[in-house]
Amino acid sequence: MNFNSRFLNKKLCNYHFRNCIRWFVVQNRLYAKATSFPDFFQNPIFRKEDQAKLIENSELAKLAAVPVRPPASYETCSVYHDPLVNKVINHVMEMGKKQLARSLVEKAFENIKRIQIERYHLAQTQEEKNKIELNPKSILYNAVENCKPLLQLSPIKRGGITYQVPGPITEKRSLFLSIKWLLEATNDKERTVHFPEQFAWELLDAANNTGKVVKRKQDLHRQCEANRAYAHYRWQ
Amino acid sequence: MSLVMSFTVKNLLPATICSIRSNFPSSIHKYSTGPSKTSSNVLDHLTDWETLSKNRKTSKAMKAYLERAKEHDEFMKRQHLEFNIGKRHLANMMGEDPETFTQKDVDRAIEYLFPSGIYDPAARPLMKPPEEVFPARKAAEFDEAGRPHHFLFYTGKPSFFKVLYDAAEHIQALNKFEDKVIRKKATPDPNGSLKLEGSVWLTKEQLEQSLVESIKEIEYENFKVVMERLVSSPYAYLCKDFIEKYRKPLAMQRFALEIPKPSYDEEGRAFITTYECLRKKARGEVTIRYPGSGKISINGKDITYFEDIQPREQVMFPLIFSGMQNSVDVECHIEGGGPSGQAGAIRWGIAWSLRSFVEKDMLEKMQVAGLLTRDHRRRERKKPGQPGARKKPTWKKR
Repeated sequence: MNFNSRFLNKKLCNYHFRNCIRWFVVQNRLYAKATSFPDFFQNPIFRKEDQAKLIENSELAKLAAVPVRPPASYETCSVYHDPLVNKVINHVMEMGKKQLARSLVEKAFENIKRIQIERYHLAQTQEEKNKIELNPKSILYNAVENCKPLLQLSPIKRGGITYQVPGPITEKRSLFLSIKWLLEATNDKERTVHFPEQFAWELLDAANNTGKVVKRKQDLHRQCEANRAYAHYRWQ
Repeated sequence: MSLVMSFTVKNLLPATICSIRSNFPSSIHKYSTGPSKTSSNVLDHLTDWETLSKNRKTSKAMKAYLERAKEHDEFMKRQHLEFNIGKRHLANMMGEDPETFTQKDVDRAIEYLFPSGIYDPAARPLMKPPEEVFPARKAAEFDEAGRPHHFLFYTGKPSFFKVLYDAAEHIQALNKFEDKVIRKKATPDPNGSLKLEGSVWLTKEQLEQSLVESIKEIEYENFKVVMERLVSSPYAYLCKDFIEKYRKPLAMQRFALEIPKPSYDEEGRAFITTYECLRKKARGEVTIRYPGSGKISINGKDITYFEDIQPREQVMFPLIFSGMQNSVDVECHIEGGGPSGQAGAIRWGIAWSLRSFVEKDMLEKMQVAGLLTRDHRRRERKKPGQPGARKKPTWKKR
């Protein structure tokens, strides 16, 4: 019987003919438990506005013929799900405690809402009232946008001296730096002040284009401007 | 010659090589006659290569090949015999009719008689027909005088380079055709476009198997580059047959097939039960009743069965997505795993049951949203010598 096929194969390999006949043992490795999806699986498009775009371009039927990964366990089509908020939650998270991170960020949003509503009621005229942004999510968006640096300094060694050379920054890295700086500024606080309160203040400051983080961004820009003489080291 | 013909030729480019071999003498005849092939008298004056080649001794390479081929043939015959005897034994052991014992029964019997908990299915005991166990081999690629049939023989990988050669020819032809169309100021036919979304290029192993040649990683990359260039032409549909030979269809669209018809309970409401809703270590069943009022019961409790927001959102995801959150009742029993896995299992179960109650375009939307894909991923095992499944210890120079 063919149970010991592998040994037989080895024996057969001894008869080797110069270049025309080759042996292959082709075995498909079908693991009992797959731990990931194959590459040809497409990423899901589950948000209503994204799907509406697809229907406009009439690409939906085409995509439906392709295998799609299931959405992750934190992704939903509900109006409360937001990619940027989720990103911030993941940055706040430590040791995989997502539930805690989410509650902290939501508490910060609540604080923002309270502060803004207080301001709204304190405002005298309708004009002033209209200026006050009440939606915490759009405040977060503005804050992150205002903190994004446009340039970065990278150390480059030339002639034994390390120069800080300014250069362009990728979109992804500038988003990362922006969120990181916001959280660093938040964690640089008194022990008696809690994270949600401080984070709310930082977000409000940054959305207003003031505060520590915006200053840090401007400092970086200033230093890039000062080091512009080294810019040619990037390619020389 | 006749010996060569009698060998079982498998899995090579049968059309080309076999045809060459079968009309081999006649082709020699043709070459020898040259341009003047009018009368039979002319033939007499020319050298008769056919008889010459017959008289000539067979080359060493051919001899060695014949020996090897004979040996292999005998070996395969023996294996076949043993396999058939083994199959009959198995059938008797299982108390079934040996005449109607199929390969499926064999696999079942082996699984029953040799139960194995080995992780990798490739390492478990098997009994397959010898053709599947022993890989295919090429027939002789040269004649008795030792001259190769294939014009790319000396590349060492004739069939692989033939593919590249053909692809390049197709590309050139398409370029010429495109030039012609541009000169005529016409536009490409929009209906003739290729549909390549549902398929992928053959993998390296599959290509090797179909060509009966081993190819290197870089050669496979080259193959892909050439084929991509061919496909990128606006007139690629003209050589559709050639392209489709090297593509494999992806998993088919299963969601739209076999949508179950709902059954009716005593209140006259339609209901569908999906059994085996699995995700991570959780397993359970989901029943959907239509029409309903949006009641959800999970193991007898409502949605507060889950303490966190995230699993609750997951349970509601397919209902909100299809807009059915107020028109169906959901009832599920779930056990095993944690909240995330249980919520994932329920999410899939609800989406899978909802297929019977939503329209066709909503089905498509759900497919694109990935709600109908079963998440079959499991925890990856820890490996010895490292702290986790993938994590390696911190690198120390010494």
